Amino acid sequence: MSTKTLFIGMDGCTFTVLNEMTRDLPGEGVAMPYLAGLMAKGVRAKLRSTPNPLTPPAWTSIMTGKGPGEHGVFDFIRAEDKGGDVYWTLYDSRDVDAEMIWSIASRAGKKIAALNFPLTAPPPKDTNGSIVPGFIPAKHLRRNSHPAGLFERIKQAIPGFDPKELAWDFDKEKQAMETLSDADMENWVRYHLPREEQWFAIAEYILQNDQPDLMAVMFDGTDKIQHQAWQFLDPGLVPAEPGDLYRRVRGVCREYFGNVDRYIKRLVELAGPEAQVFFASDHGFTATVEVLRINSYLEDLGYLKWAVNDGSEQALRREASDFANLDWSKTIAYCRTPSSNGIHIRVADKPGDPGIPAKDYNRVRDKLIEELKQLRNEDGEPVIVDVLKREDWFPGAHMKDACDLTLVLRDNGFVSIRNLKPAVVKRPGPIGTHHPDGIFMACGKGISEAGMVARRKIVDVAPTLLHSLGLPTPSDFEGKVAESFFGESWLAQNPVRIGLPTQRGGERQKSEEMDEGEKQQIIEQLQMLGYME
Amino acid sequence: MANDLSTGVPAASAALTGKLIALLEDFTQDWDHEFEGGMGRDTRLLADLGFESIDIIQLIVAIEEDIAKKKVAFDKLLMKDGRYVDDLSIGQIADFLAAQP
Repeated sequence: MSTKTLFIGMDGCTFTVLNEMTRDLPGEGVAMPYLAGLMAKGVRAKLRSTPNPLTPPAWTSIMTGKGPGEHGVFDFIRAEDKGGDVYWTLYDSRDVDAEMIWSIASRAGKKIAALNFPLTAPPPKDTNGSIVPGFIPAKHLRRNSHPAGLFERIKQAIPGFDPKELAWDFDKEKQAMETLSDADMENWVRYHLPREEQWFAIAEYILQNDQPDLMAVMFDGTDKIQHQAWQFLDPGLVPAEPGDLYRRVRGVCREYFGNVDRYIKRLVELAGPEAQVFFASDHGFTATVEVLRINSYLEDLGYLKWAVNDGSEQALRREASDFANLDWSKTIAYCRTPSSNGIHIRVADKPGDPGIPAKDYNRVRDKLIEELKQLRNEDGEPVIVDVLKREDWFPGAHMKDACDLTLVLRDNGFVSIRNLKPAVVKRPGPIGTHHPDGIFMACGKGISEAGMVARRKIVDVAPTLLHSLGLPTPSDFEGKVAESFFGESWLAQNPVRIGLPTQRGGERQKSEEMDEGEKQQIIEQLQMLGYME
Repeated sequence: MANDLSTGVPAASAALTGKLIALLEDFTQDWDHEFEGGMGRDTRLLADLGFESIDIIQLIVAIEEDIAKKKVAFDKLLMKDGRYVDDLSIGQIADFLAAQP
């Protein structure tokens, strides 16, 4: 048995940076020469992300071939408005209400490996192959790896294996969105070098020893580094006279991408000449230049009231958290989290409950959309360039969990939910933010050599990977096989087939049946995590 | 309800204590905590085993997956008089699970 399909995920990877890393720059050379060679003899396209281009919904779409309205993952946290309060929880694999390609391929008798993908913990027990999940703290990686014993096998087989270097560190990850000193920024970038080396070592070991039919690994340092160090990577932001800090941090960034190039070379060579190799990112990257304090603007418009801050340590900590802290009895429209980039409109279940009467929903929403579009920055430019209604952008069984309105800002930034004025301010300098266009690339036997082709949708990745494996596209997939990625003769011998629909995914139904006590439990869990007071 | 005559612990809770100890021994086997000796009903998660908040969340997932085989309303155990309890012993968790329908 040998690997048919190698899938390398690169979180937040964008052609804006990748094109720079794969070309010969004066005085710097080529950071990713091997990938440059692959791109020259393969095919690539921009990949349009989920409507809110964010890691959890976007990677879940890559893994399920369905949009957030169907798979049900919209953000890092999941919230439910219970009238008197809003309850928060964290998503895990049991919340993904769509079958992932790991499971689809397993059912078809294929062996898989999925390394460092979010929303894969706890791993489904019927997986035929290996899962080491991403976004899990080191202490819990062993129990969340599949099959039982895999973690010990890795530990014994890989010299220098260190789960603490490898795994998600909550305190460190929080820094991705913080303002760091020059020294801290350089350290932040450098921290991801050994971390990625660990994931590569696991991928190399599993590919070499297990030779799964579908071998998939995700490198997420790309996203983290670009958040903090975008100004050192964006070719449009090169200073006229680069200083020492610029050269130093850019040097570490290029070292990171150079390492990824080495990983790609080794993995592609291990997969062998018969394998088809795919690359994808969950979203792209760009620069954000201003801050929209959306709840502050909604307060100006009369839609929300802030919770009373009594100045206590508890109240200050709550106010500083990334979860909206509001007077729920007097709030009818609000933004829950910065990453949601959206607004929820509260509809009263019965007279007397907080929220608007259901009959007023369309009128209130239309008025709010107009008010949002009227917002201008100090230069008179519109801040919000589009407002997406959930029925248009999140169709599916879970549409009701989507934001009523998703905002598209002129600079693609994420909103702030801080209680500060004014509602719009310029940032001290540009920083990295998500762009809706990520990357999708392929090379190898049977793959087209057409270079850049028309943009694809993020839901197309899953059916394309399954097609490469020789499997039909499930009839209920939203995505379609990227036929432009395959050579004509190969496609003629391997025509696209539509197969049976997917089977049910996670255990969402169970969580929907949670009682009031369970909701309270979730609040307590988040309090323990430090998300709430 | 049947009791273990030597300890006075209801049989259902005693059985769950054993399962919890087995789970927790596996759960913490490669942690850097200084706990010595065998775990028992009085062993506490935070004070003895060095749990942090994220570890509680993971333990709840593990209990639901491996022991209860369903979602459990842990808020009734974690909350007392509107506040989160300072710590939990294995015995408290076993008693709580034994009382679940």
